[in-house]
Amino acid sequence: MFKNIKRYTVIAALGLTAVAATSCESYLDINTDPYASTKVEPKLLFNYATTNWAANRAGGDNYIPIALSAQTIASGGNFGWGKDNVYEISPYSTGNTWKAYYATAGLNLVQAIAEAEKASPANNNAAAQAKIELATMMYEATLIWGDIPFSESWQESISYPKFDAQKSVFEQVIGLLDEAIAQIDETSPLKISEYDLIYNGDLSKWKSFAKSIKFKTYMVMVDKDPSVASKIGQMLNEGGMVSSAAANFTFPFYNTPDKENPRYKILKRYAGGSNIFFFANNNVLSYMKQLEDPRIPVYFDKPAGVSTYNGVDSEEEADATTATISMYLYRPDAPEVVYTYQEQLYLEAEAYARGLGVGQDLNKANELYKKATLQALLFNGIASSTAQDYVDNTLPALTSVAKPVDQIHLMQWIDLMDRPLEAWTQWRRSGSEGNEVPTLTQPEGTPAGGLIRRWVYSPDEATSNANTPSPTPIITQKLWFDL
Amino acid sequence: MRKVLFIGLVMFLTLVSQAWAQNRAVSGKVTDRSTGDALPGVAVLVKGTTTGTATGVDGTYTINVPEGSNTLVFRFIGYSVVERNIDNASVVNVALGVDSKQLQEVVVTAIGIERETKSLGYAASKVDGEELTKARETNVVNGLAGKVSGVRITQSSGSLGGSSKVTIRGTNSFGGSSPLFVIDGLPISNSAPGGNTPTGNGSVDYGNRAGDINPDDIESMTVLKGAAATALYGARARDGAIIITTKKGAEGKVKVSLNSSTRFDNVLRLPDLQNEYAQGNFGKYDLRNTNGWGPKISEVQDVTVKNFMGEDVTLQAYPNNVEDFFQTGMTYMNNLAFEGGSKEGDFRLSLGSTNQTGIIENQGLDRYNVGLNAGRNFKDKLNVRTTINYVKTTTEGRPVQSSNSPNILTSAIYGLPRTVDINRLRDNYIDPITGEQISLTPDKTGNNPYWIINRNTNESDLERMYGNAIVSYKPLPWLTLSNNTGVDFYKENRFNKTSKGTFGALEGEFYKATLQNRIVNNDFIVTAERDINPDLNLKVMAGHNIYSTHYEAQAVTARNLTIDGLYDYANATSTVPSQSISERRLVGIWGDLGLSYKEYLFLNVTGRNDWSSTLPVDNRSYFYPSVSTGFVFTDAFNIQSNILDYGKIRASWANVGSDAAPYSLDYNYNPATTYFVQYSLSGTFPHGGLLGFSAPRTLPNFNLKPQNQTNVEFGADFRFLSNRINLGFTYYNTKTTDQIVALDVPLSTGYFAKYVNVGAVLNRGLEVDLTLNPIRTTSGFDWTTNVNFSKNVQEVQDLPESLDFYGLASGWSGLQIKAEEGKSFGLYGTAWQRDPEGNFIINKDTGLRETEQGKRLGSITPDWLMGINNTFTYKGINMGFLVDIRKGGVFYSGTVASLRSSGLAEETLENRGSIFIDRGVNKTDDGFVPNTTPVQSMQDFWGKYSATANTEGNVFDASYVKLREVRVSYTLPKRWLENTFVGSAEFGLEGRNLWIIHSNVPHIDPESNFFGAGSVGEGVEFNTMPTTRTLGFNLRVTL
Repeated sequence: MFKNIKRYTVIAALGLTAVAATSCESYLDINTDPYASTKVEPKLLFNYATTNWAANRAGGDNYIPIALSAQTIASGGNFGWGKDNVYEISPYSTGNTWKAYYATAGLNLVQAIAEAEKASPANNNAAAQAKIELATMMYEATLIWGDIPFSESWQESISYPKFDAQKSVFEQVIGLLDEAIAQIDETSPLKISEYDLIYNGDLSKWKSFAKSIKFKTYMVMVDKDPSVASKIGQMLNEGGMVSSAAANFTFPFYNTPDKENPRYKILKRYAGGSNIFFFANNNVLSYMKQLEDPRIPVYFDKPAGVSTYNGVDSEEEADATTATISMYLYRPDAPEVVYTYQEQLYLEAEAYARGLGVGQDLNKANELYKKATLQALLFNGIASSTAQDYVDNTLPALTSVAKPVDQIHLMQWIDLMDRPLEAWTQWRRSGSEGNEVPTLTQPEGTPAGGLIRRWVYSPDEATSNANTPSPTPIITQKLWFDL
Repeated sequence: MRKVLFIGLVMFLTLVSQAWAQNRAVSGKVTDRSTGDALPGVAVLVKGTTTGTATGVDGTYTINVPEGSNTLVFRFIGYSVVERNIDNASVVNVALGVDSKQLQEVVVTAIGIERETKSLGYAASKVDGEELTKARETNVVNGLAGKVSGVRITQSSGSLGGSSKVTIRGTNSFGGSSPLFVIDGLPISNSAPGGNTPTGNGSVDYGNRAGDINPDDIESMTVLKGAAATALYGARARDGAIIITTKKGAEGKVKVSLNSSTRFDNVLRLPDLQNEYAQGNFGKYDLRNTNGWGPKISEVQDVTVKNFMGEDVTLQAYPNNVEDFFQTGMTYMNNLAFEGGSKEGDFRLSLGSTNQTGIIENQGLDRYNVGLNAGRNFKDKLNVRTTINYVKTTTEGRPVQSSNSPNILTSAIYGLPRTVDINRLRDNYIDPITGEQISLTPDKTGNNPYWIINRNTNESDLERMYGNAIVSYKPLPWLTLSNNTGVDFYKENRFNKTSKGTFGALEGEFYKATLQNRIVNNDFIVTAERDINPDLNLKVMAGHNIYSTHYEAQAVTARNLTIDGLYDYANATSTVPSQSISERRLVGIWGDLGLSYKEYLFLNVTGRNDWSSTLPVDNRSYFYPSVSTGFVFTDAFNIQSNILDYGKIRASWANVGSDAAPYSLDYNYNPATTYFVQYSLSGTFPHGGLLGFSAPRTLPNFNLKPQNQTNVEFGADFRFLSNRINLGFTYYNTKTTDQIVALDVPLSTGYFAKYVNVGAVLNRGLEVDLTLNPIRTTSGFDWTTNVNFSKNVQEVQDLPESLDFYGLASGWSGLQIKAEEGKSFGLYGTAWQRDPEGNFIINKDTGLRETEQGKRLGSITPDWLMGINNTFTYKGINMGFLVDIRKGGVFYSGTVASLRSSGLAEETLENRGSIFIDRGVNKTDDGFVPNTTPVQSMQDFWGKYSATANTEGNVFDASYVKLREVRVSYTLPKRWLENTFVGSAEFGLEGRNLWIIHSNVPHIDPESNFFGAGSVGEGVEFNTMPTTRTLGFNLRVTL
């Protein structure tokens, strides 16, 4: 009987094995996601990356904490928005911003480059467009955190990318931009056109933008590394950088639900469409008043029944009479601005005023500075006659002020009020510690140790990447370029 | 049940008789000694042979006794074995007495195999259905709390129909632990798919699917804890299994049973609020601030201010405004069952209903269950059985919890300024003329909670069918072939709406989703069993299993409604559709060899090989074995003692493999529907008319191999003093290696995670089950206490050298659940900076504490758990209560953070208006010096101390002691019911979650879990609904 049991068991087991083995293979081959694709055109990745990048810049993880902590706008103490002004920047914001640069935007650009270059024929222009954006994003990331992963990022074989020193990051940014510039073939029809919401496939504009970012990078580096001054001079002589407002790098938002500028959406969603959170900061408004800047009513709104534009200091309690950041700047279809012609002109003015790689030439600087200011006013919707009149008659000439370079920096600061990452960078590079333009003071309630000069690393990165610098730099620690 | 089983067993023995010498026939009747009732199914064997028979329904038997044999052996589960000499008699009548020495309970183990408890080489805890229906939980999972050692139940919130998580012997994986639920051999879904709302990250708890089971249909629930117990289920039961057997009709008279409860639900714990200060900012009244930082109410009685209605009022506190928001919820649970059976078959039809109204207006849940369990015997060889269950659940008003949604209710209620009259708020949430919301704040940022509950309700509708068909055929007396085919299918519709005029979503929006899940399972099993010789029994089983799951979800978020209240896609100017799918298949073959020697030594060896669809083709096959043994030494050594009645030791070893998540292997690009913007402002694609595609968040891995778990378990069971004391110990050691996880990688790689085999989780633990029967009198009074104790020590091992931590789950503002080498899963976040002596470092200028990020703040799991269940019976009176104790672990409360930072919690009264200097040190160039800087205001202090981002300020010890369950019932004496149509009747009072006897968390019930039942994360809550206390009446009648 036991033999019978054995026999039947063996037969059953063999039978079951046979059933399992024969039916397995095709039955189990279902591990493909029907709602995903293993191939994709570079333009689709490029558009996803660009949109995520712009949305982060304009949204509550980047715009708000930087604008408030860099003191370009004010939260009105407890009257308005949150605690970013006293440097309580949510790890969520640092995390999401890091995520945008490396994952949602960064990785998709890297994949777009790979898909473009492996296509047959290779879509070199698409690769170049993606490279220029990627370089710009890494330029921004290093200005927030200093040493960051770059050379070892986005490589599947490397799980823990090393952190490159900021100087190296800048050099890699320039290297990547050079690579992209060389890769552009303006005669080729292969490029990202329709899916390029910035320049609609105009490769000459991409090239000029790439050169401008390269130039701007050198301008950030030059105080710490004066050797790049020659590069600045070389670029000024060669030209080819952004040379008209038509070449501004702006990302469009629309006055359509879910396509609006995130700054407007905050107000729409949480404040019935009016600005009750963000106020005029005296660090901008008081200088504009001194300069009788025609942009005041563009930048700020007065509360109803209040006749003057009243600003507040960074942690001062606002009240019902305080001017708010204008609904013009916070309009739904306000574009996210990454680079402008006036920014280029101010930088060029600064280079001539300081003699960076070119002979010091205050007249040339003044000419560029006035041109820049005119462009800045026009950019903000000031009528051309008013703008021209202001530049000609009110704006102090560089030749008549005691510190022309500081005057340029002040105008750069005012121009960049609504672009806080650029404003913060501009302020940090505008002078050695204590000599920045404008002079900022530490808001009450901020931790001891000075003004904010960087963000701490995203906790997600710091805890998962053993290569994160240790001890982790604190927010008051200066970056490499910051003297 | 036991009898039926044993009849079957004995039939085998009878039929396989080889020695068929027909010398003489002996007959007789077997009865129960205490009742005199006939005992059917008693095995009658001729000693020293394999000749045997079984008693019939009337307890009689006839057996042919071979020549030379003179002794009959009578054996029946639960009774002492009796041997009788025949001598010259032709009639041998026997009365069997109940055997108190042996643990002859039968439990259902893996693949539905029934085994005697004493034969098991591992711990398996059985909970009778009766125990689960004593004070029924609407979610049957909660009914296990405190009742089974090694089992931890974590309720997510007090949300109606909310989810609960089951963890058996600690979390084994970085991806979390989820025990397998099996009903009548069919593995069913216990998923808790997350519920996105149209408003960002705020979440609605839609429950876990095991909550659909009708508790009244459960005959028993067996908790299989270790890998040896669940080895035959393989990967699916890596985290243990809960095996549910449903009730069947018993042979005999047709019976109708009614079980009816009416219950009242109230908030278990409300926050302790201050009633002295109005809303405002730094002592100044301001309607814009919904908080408690305004002026002292008693000091502004000489002035009038505007209230939220714009009326001039003198401020006064409304101490009950939060309490009065809540109402008494009602729960009606009714079940009607018709059952009956005969030799040929049995049936049971069960009709159940659960109707609840919530503790908040406009909340309701209606669940209807229909269950049929019917079996039919076709002659001796063929038996068929089918179970069909239908569940329909509709809910309304499930609250939005956590954060980043305008519809979050808890913060809207708890955040009410103390000067707001709830009645005014209730009557004035909508402007009768304009139809617009009347806001709590003039700047229209604070939603009136009555607006939320009246206008922005969430609805869900679930239909589910599950059941199986079992065919069992015995071609040979010792051979059984059976096939069990089962299907579990559910479809759930979710609908969340936010009406126009809701602050935070002024244009209105809605979200509709349809979720479908299907499990198909087939088990083909061949069983061969017989006695090799009178002392040695062999049972060999082989099986083939096919298991497939298919999950699909479609959702549409629609924003910006044109006409208010019309939730049609065409009425929205923006719609975002999304869909997802997940499918997996598993094919397995297995074998199980069981040996029983003299019924005191048992050995069981199993092996299973699985082929999984989710693994790379080269690695998709994997094998795992188990071995277990039990030794009843009191039987083996024939120990006769007045003290020790029964003693057994057991040991097991098992290895289990498991597969990966579907689609972990391909590099997939997904079309994007949205791009992220903080504060719930995400935009949608196409943007500018253009689509976007995204690379995967998780880097696939083409070389994944199966995850591996090794489990070792030792245990012992004892019974002392005539079963007055039952004691069981189990020690286990489970190591899960090569974990297949989507390992969070630094975002600088471009990815959020990558699939890898990495790391190990070790869980070691001790379980003690003690049952005491201190009093048992002849007058019928009985007191029984069951104490179950579980201690689990978890340790993360084998993380790569480059990885100090592994992020398991993220909360807000830097709060994370992480795995760290050498430690248990822990809560990490922003902590207070301390000097080397441990003093808080305080900012010299502000007087406020300095913080640092990424610090471990404690373990999320408890040190130990204990349940103490007491039952008292006296004649028809039955009383019981269950105390549930948790010791250790930490808990983060976002609700407490809000109550404190907004100055509404009672403790924020302290030091208001006086100087407060926090104890600590200032960091100076000369080192640390004692802090002398006062905080500038208590508003500043609590604003910093309890900021959501300051994790440590909101972390508490998660220990608690709770009175979980109380029941008192009275069964009418049978004689009262004689000559009536009523067979039995019982009245009861029942209560659940009556009292938090001890807790270290202020203001709220520490049993809340923001991460939900589907996540590895726990120990964190953000604005969860308060849990409820339930008290009610119960009536049970049998006709």
